[in-house]
Amino acid sequence: MVPYVAVAITAVILSLVPLWIGDSRTLTGVAVSGLLFACYATAFNLIFGSTDQLFLAVGALAGVGAYTSAITSDRLSLPLPLTIILGMIVAMIISGLFSWIAVRRSLGIIFTGIVTLTFSLAFDNLLLGQRSLTGGETGMVIDAGKGAFFRGQIPPYYVFLTLLIGFLLAYVAIHRSRMGWAFRALRDDQLSAELSGVNVAKYRIYAGAIGGAMLGLSGALWAHVEGFISPATFTFVHVDVQVLVMLVFGGIGTLLGPVVGSAFFTYLGEVLASFSQLRLIVEGVLLIVLFLALPQGVVGAIVIGITRLRERRKGLP
Amino acid sequence: MAVLELVELEKHFGGLPAVDGVTFGFNDGEILAIVGPNGAGKSTLLKTIIGIHPATSGTIRFSGTDITKMSTHRIRKAGIAMVLQTPRIFGSLTVRENVVIGAMFGNPKGVSESDAYEEADEMLAVVGLSSKADLAIDKLNLHEQRYVDLARAIAGRPKLLLLDEVMAGLNDTETASSIELIRRLRDRHGVTVIWVEHVMKAVLSLAERIAVLDFGRLLTSGDPQVVMRDPKVVKAYLGGKALPDA
Amino acid sequence: MTAAILDGLVLGLQFGLLGVGLTIVYGMGGVLNLAYGAMAVASAIVVSVAMRSGLPAVPAVALGILTGAALSLLLNVTIMRPVYRRRGDQRVLLSILLTIGVAFIINGYLVWKLPIEALSLSIGGDAISILGVPMRVGSLLASAITILAGVGLILFFRRTTAGKAVRSVIQDEVGARLCGINPASVRMLIFTLSGAIAGLVAVTRSMTSPVPVSEGFSLTILALLVTVVGGLGSVKGAMLAGLILGVVNALSSFYIGSYITTIVLLVAAALTILLRPSGLFGEYT
Ligand SMILES: Nc1ncnc2c1ncn2[C@@H]1O[C@H](COP(=O)(O)OP(=O)(O)OP(=O)(O)O)[C@@H](O)[C@H]1O
Ligand SMILES: [Mg+2]
Repeated sequence: MVPYVAVAITAVILSLVPLWIGDSRTLTGVAVSGLLFACYATAFNLIFGSTDQLFLAVGALAGVGAYTSAITSDRLSLPLPLTIILGMIVAMIISGLFSWIAVRRSLGIIFTGIVTLTFSLAFDNLLLGQRSLTGGETGMVIDAGKGAFFRGQIPPYYVFLTLLIGFLLAYVAIHRSRMGWAFRALRDDQLSAELSGVNVAKYRIYAGAIGGAMLGLSGALWAHVEGFISPATFTFVHVDVQVLVMLVFGGIGTLLGPVVGSAFFTYLGEVLASFSQLRLIVEGVLLIVLFLALPQGVVGAIVIGITRLRERRKGLP
Repeated sequence: MAVLELVELEKHFGGLPAVDGVTFGFNDGEILAIVGPNGAGKSTLLKTIIGIHPATSGTIRFSGTDITKMSTHRIRKAGIAMVLQTPRIFGSLTVRENVVIGAMFGNPKGVSESDAYEEADEMLAVVGLSSKADLAIDKLNLHEQRYVDLARAIAGRPKLLLLDEVMAGLNDTETASSIELIRRLRDRHGVTVIWVEHVMKAVLSLAERIAVLDFGRLLTSGDPQVVMRDPKVVKAYLGGKALPDA
Repeated sequence: MTAAILDGLVLGLQFGLLGVGLTIVYGMGGVLNLAYGAMAVASAIVVSVAMRSGLPAVPAVALGILTGAALSLLLNVTIMRPVYRRRGDQRVLLSILLTIGVAFIINGYLVWKLPIEALSLSIGGDAISILGVPMRVGSLLASAITILAGVGLILFFRRTTAGKAVRSVIQDEVGARLCGINPASVRMLIFTLSGAIAGLVAVTRSMTSPVPVSEGFSLTILALLVTVVGGLGSVKGAMLAGLILGVVNALSSFYIGSYITTIVLLVAAALTILLRPSGLFGEYT
């Protein structure tokens, strides 16, 4: 029950944010992008946090979803919901394929990271090169379905808030299911998990595919809500590095770690916006200090603290 | 009837044989001890049977089915479980949760979470750890950790249990309790036990049959008292000196 | 065709040496230094600033290489300490995250203070004809320095006591300890060497194309690819992988051109990893 309550509280807090930032368009934009990153980080948390697969293609997989959806709706005039589902499925297949390859070739953390990183870089180059289709570095404006679906009807903030809450609920549901037991076992000790009958390969691929679908969906929605995408939106430096930092800060493998991490860094970015050059330095210092001080992340440390407190209380007569 | 059959089983590491052409049949319901000097290939043999190491050549048949190429989790579901030489328990889970994993995934039929909990409690009762079910793993001593590992292995009711030196490092009381437990598992639950062990006293009091492995080959097998007095075995085992406990 | 291959070799030599600097650190302690490219750039920028303030080229370059070495040494005695207390995947992961932080700091500082600085060492003189292809003096000098450095490194690992100590630690840390070799001081040596190599590569690279402040990240990625293709921890492998990737790069940009070149390069790297996870040469030196 506790995780669902946590998600509900998160939903309430986040839905109050628009009251706090008011009408400011810039701030709203920042908040929406913060939610997008929370979605990315939650998906990444499922892949990396739950099954130890370091996918350095978070941005690229979101980009796959975004461009698939944008191109099929703009060029082929397919119905908008269908294109979004298409984007999600293509990203899911590619991501599942990564897991399959990593499992088949027994790639460890580093090699999985590097293979997916090469995909990110290649994808970025492909976007830049296929000008006629993607508009190259200038990006593409998505006209299809303008106003018909989201834009103008539901404020983008609530689109992504709904998405995030959906992801968090999915995360909780997965972790309370049989799959969650398998994840816990294989993360703890892969060999013991196999010896207990857990099909480690299968559950890794599930995590990869589900996380990939989440990323594709986030990217596709972003494309249509923003109405504009460019390769820079999905690069390794802009997305993956940030998402990794956010997740680690919040707490790898915790439910709310991704949310706390992205909220913190989004807020920090906003505070440091006026002297943007400092942002990188501050982030770097924070990363090092926090990592050494709180290796389990903020949420991880809180969870451990609460458990200790409970144990101590139980210990009293 | 042989529940497990090995035919010309070989396992090489980088060209060097660790298991070198073993052909053997394990009887249904027996407690068989595999003994042999360090590096004889005992652990490798067990790990090859359960699919942790893929066999280089040869065949493994379990209840008539060829399981040589199966992956470990499928073999486990098919009814073979193993306890490793050093207990490897899920450190972030409680004692009960460890066993739940075995109950949930170690069974060919899908087991629901609540059924798995029920089964886990039953298995913890079998090994006598019910009172420690909610503890974290690191609160347990080696002996108790082995029992958790064992409970996790017998959850899902495997037909065959592979045990690798589960009595190493235990004191006399603990050893006696382990012997009693393994015998009870066989008597009440009908599991076949293949058990690698160095502690001779335990072997002689529990094993019904002994197989001796040396340099990856099966030296001899048969009645414990007879086998352990076989000059061939004495020579392989202790370089000619007499066995201390036998 | 010959021209493309020669260009590829010039580039490949730089790739190779770049990879060597990263690979020795991995071979040594199983850690990755993702601030590697940032350190190379920092060295280049120091050279550039020193020369602008009137220092002659050679001492400026020496200063730059020293900067790389010093930064790397600093890294080793500070944040690498907790990293070495971990094992296996945990160790790699922590090294990745902490050095990303360091890269942020170095990049952030450079972009903040010297946003438009770039090192570009133009070496004068007429082009020299090699196999009928006119080659720029800068390219030749850069290649000569790289080859010298590469040979020097291999000799160092093979012939000198310190080099042998390094190899023994890599093969068997416990055994080396028993022989009286302290792994920690060997690590310090390797880290410093790695930083110096980063600085050197930045300098030689600037003889053929400018090294701007923003280059750090791409240099790290390039080094990572070379390292992995060559086999993590292998000096010879990194050199060879660098050459192969350099030639692949030049040939595909010559025949196919445009953005496909980079994709070919990346696919080549990914395929090598998948087909030979231990790299082209899965052992050290
Ligand atoms: N993963 C492995 N890779 C390479 N060689 C191995 C591996 N596992 C075992 N060996 C080798 O296979 C041989 C048999 O080892 P094994 O562990 O099976 O012996 P054992 O009979 O269980 O010994 P002990 O009584 O010490 O446990 C040894 O020579 C060992 O070095
Ligand atoms: Mg053994």
